[in-house]
Amino acid sequence: MSDVLERPGRWTRRLAPRGERSPWRQPLAVLGAVVLVVWLLVAALAPLLAPFDPLEQSGDRLAAPGGAHLLGTDSLGRDVLSRVVFGSRLSIPVAVALVVGCLVVGAVLGALAGYLGGWVDEVVMRVADMVLAFPTIILAMVVAAALGPSLVNAVIAILLVNWPQYARVTRSLVLGAKTREYVVAGRLLGAGPWTSLRRDILPNVAAPVLVLATLDVGSAILVLSGLSFLGLGTVPPTPEWGSMVADGVQQFDAWWIGTSAGLAILSVVAAVNFVGDALRDALDPHTRSTVAGRAL
Amino acid sequence: MHRTLRHSLVVPLLAASAALALAACGSSGSAPAASSASGGTLVVDSTFDLKTADPARSYEFTGELLGHNVYEHATTFEGTDLTKPVPELTTFAFSPDNRTLTLTLNGEHKFADGTPVTVDDIVFSYQRVQGITGSPSFLLDGVTVAKVDEKSLTLTTTAPNLALPAVLANPSLGIVEKSLVVAHGGTTGTDDAAEAYLNTASAGSAAYQIDTLDVSSKIVLKRNPNYVGTAPTWDKIVIENVAPATQKLNVQSGTAQIALDISPDGTKGVDGGSTTVINGISGFTVYTFFAADAEHGKAASDPNFVAAVRHAIDYSKLLDIAGKGSVQPGGVVPVQFPGALTSDPTNSYDVAKAKELLARSTYAGEPISYLYASDVTVQGLRLELIAQSIQADLKAVGITLQLDPQPAATYYSTLRSNTVQAALSYWGPDFPDASNYLAFTPGQGVAKRANWTADSATGQQVAPLVAAAQAASADTRNAAYQDLQRTLNEVGPIVPLLQPAQSVVTTTTVSDVVPSPLWLLDLASIH
Repeated sequence: MSDVLERPGRWTRRLAPRGERSPWRQPLAVLGAVVLVVWLLVAALAPLLAPFDPLEQSGDRLAAPGGAHLLGTDSLGRDVLSRVVFGSRLSIPVAVALVVGCLVVGAVLGALAGYLGGWVDEVVMRVADMVLAFPTIILAMVVAAALGPSLVNAVIAILLVNWPQYARVTRSLVLGAKTREYVVAGRLLGAGPWTSLRRDILPNVAAPVLVLATLDVGSAILVLSGLSFLGLGTVPPTPEWGSMVADGVQQFDAWWIGTSAGLAILSVVAAVNFVGDALRDALDPHTRSTVAGRAL
Repeated sequence: MHRTLRHSLVVPLLAASAALALAACGSSGSAPAASSASGGTLVVDSTFDLKTADPARSYEFTGELLGHNVYEHATTFEGTDLTKPVPELTTFAFSPDNRTLTLTLNGEHKFADGTPVTVDDIVFSYQRVQGITGSPSFLLDGVTVAKVDEKSLTLTTTAPNLALPAVLANPSLGIVEKSLVVAHGGTTGTDDAAEAYLNTASAGSAAYQIDTLDVSSKIVLKRNPNYVGTAPTWDKIVIENVAPATQKLNVQSGTAQIALDISPDGTKGVDGGSTTVINGISGFTVYTFFAADAEHGKAASDPNFVAAVRHAIDYSKLLDIAGKGSVQPGGVVPVQFPGALTSDPTNSYDVAKAKELLARSTYAGEPISYLYASDVTVQGLRLELIAQSIQADLKAVGITLQLDPQPAATYYSTLRSNTVQAALSYWGPDFPDASNYLAFTPGQGVAKRANWTADSATGQQVAPLVAAAQAASADTRNAAYQDLQRTLNEVGPIVPLLQPAQSVVTTTTVSDVVPSPLWLLDLASIH
């Protein structure tokens, strides 16, 4: 079938105006990609890069940046640089895993709701509406507080509050796609609902959902750090950026603690957003045109 | 342990980072220091936990500050000496059996409206505290108050209670003007309706009286024109509710003359120039415990394990975190109270000994769940830092502590469920006497959290010492309480860790500021 019928995904991609600069040649996208690669390298090579064991009380308490401790020490005399470096090992992979989890749960439920309709649609969407009715961080705080502070519980909390946005986007895309001729043709050729969803619909709705997921990595890092900041995420003494900012707020004079971790969060979140924007432009030129005011 | 707690403020994450960055660029305030000419206004910054200004109902820190400075008491303590109560409104004497305390009016004292303080006022005030059954009522549990004549009254207890003179100095036992309070609905029962009046005005005889009061933001005190003691320096005292970080800025800029809640780390670098740091010792005892029963304590209930912990903790490191002024007491009784142990070799840092004791215990490396309050500070000291430091110390000898941080909202209920394996906690004194610390003995309040019962083997070992301390005469009780604490250290599951500092930052324009663990400050003595 795919040989006979054009797929909208390919079609829209061809529609991209010729002569446009590739999104990947935009300075912010390049900057984002570089920063992100640097952080991924830092996370991968943390034991080699960190000058000290992040849990070791290796210096005087609250020593200012300089000397053996480039970013100073925290309230217990632990090296802030080493903790920021090791913090990346936690924040980045967990945020990515979190988004993948939300994506899978949300996309599957959304696709089923959109494709099957009826009571499945009603149930899934009403539950999603219920979750979306609460502010994300408040609901995540309630769940994390009820389950007790730990990284796993924080992940569960964020997963519970974050899947509906994927469900909604996927459902609306599936609703639009399922009446397309190529999907109907597929069904007429004998494909079952699963095959139809997997083979005909999924490839054509994947791009916007993936863009959403990429942009969501940044906010996942923020929410995760936020929970740790509030004492509902990682348990001490695990090095984590959010809890380091919390420590910094308690030690307002030792500005280096909170600022270092805060800048780490800022740089990763900004980098992920830049890359996400570029990805959106590449995969979804329609939105880019809308943003540029050309769709009118 | 019973008071309202000060919680850390929660601010958005990135906003906090940005603020920190700004703080990095900032410097201390440059506004001119306020003048401290006699007769002016003294501004004191504090974090409020005030619920009421009625002394018979108040049992919070800010209430203690108010209670001491607005109301006089039968007895008081002078300066930093908490070993000996001295007469204020009354002199006092025990009967030979130490069951009856006779209070006799100590000269003439006058309320703010000029009315003399009488025995009736004292009897009414005590009976009101008992009758209202508010938070401080327990202070006079089992005490019968009776007027003898126009000059004296008696307080009678069924068992000897040598701590009573110290108890009477508690800010909640302030003497109110009976006629005034009764006129505003005051009674000696639960139908008392004078709280509203006492929240807007005072009925006391101390150096100051309430001018205006807002329980959440500001208290203004003015002189009591009829005060019979030495007239205070300041005409007016303004006590403001200010966050600790702002307190520091205020005192550096001279907007406030005294800041009460700057953390030990926050006071670093403030001493000198236009500000001075006064480091006192607080009355809090920070302690840790391991459940004494096998069901909850598991391997941690082994006495050898607890003995190993006592030697594994680097107490000097804890004192470094707690800041200048903090001390390690020998037992659970604070060092400045009578009957305290100043040191005890049972609680000393000795890694080799800790390892040796641990080897003798049944502990085999399993994680020990360790509860602590993640958002609670004691005199500005963050308990989470103490918990993490202990975790690192115990790791060095081979003990794995698995931290279980909980916000205060759930921490206290978890602690009071008496099911935790180990925990970090603290105790604030109700009155400066060793008998207040019987709560740490088997079967009593604190020991119950660790499931340390009176009928356990170690409980039976401690029981005779408790009885001896309670029955001891004035001459022998200090030694008896010290013996009791040594035994608690040897066989008990509770490890006293430190007393945090009580740091007060002042401008150099004020003097004679003496921090008190009982009522924060005696405002009348500040010049």
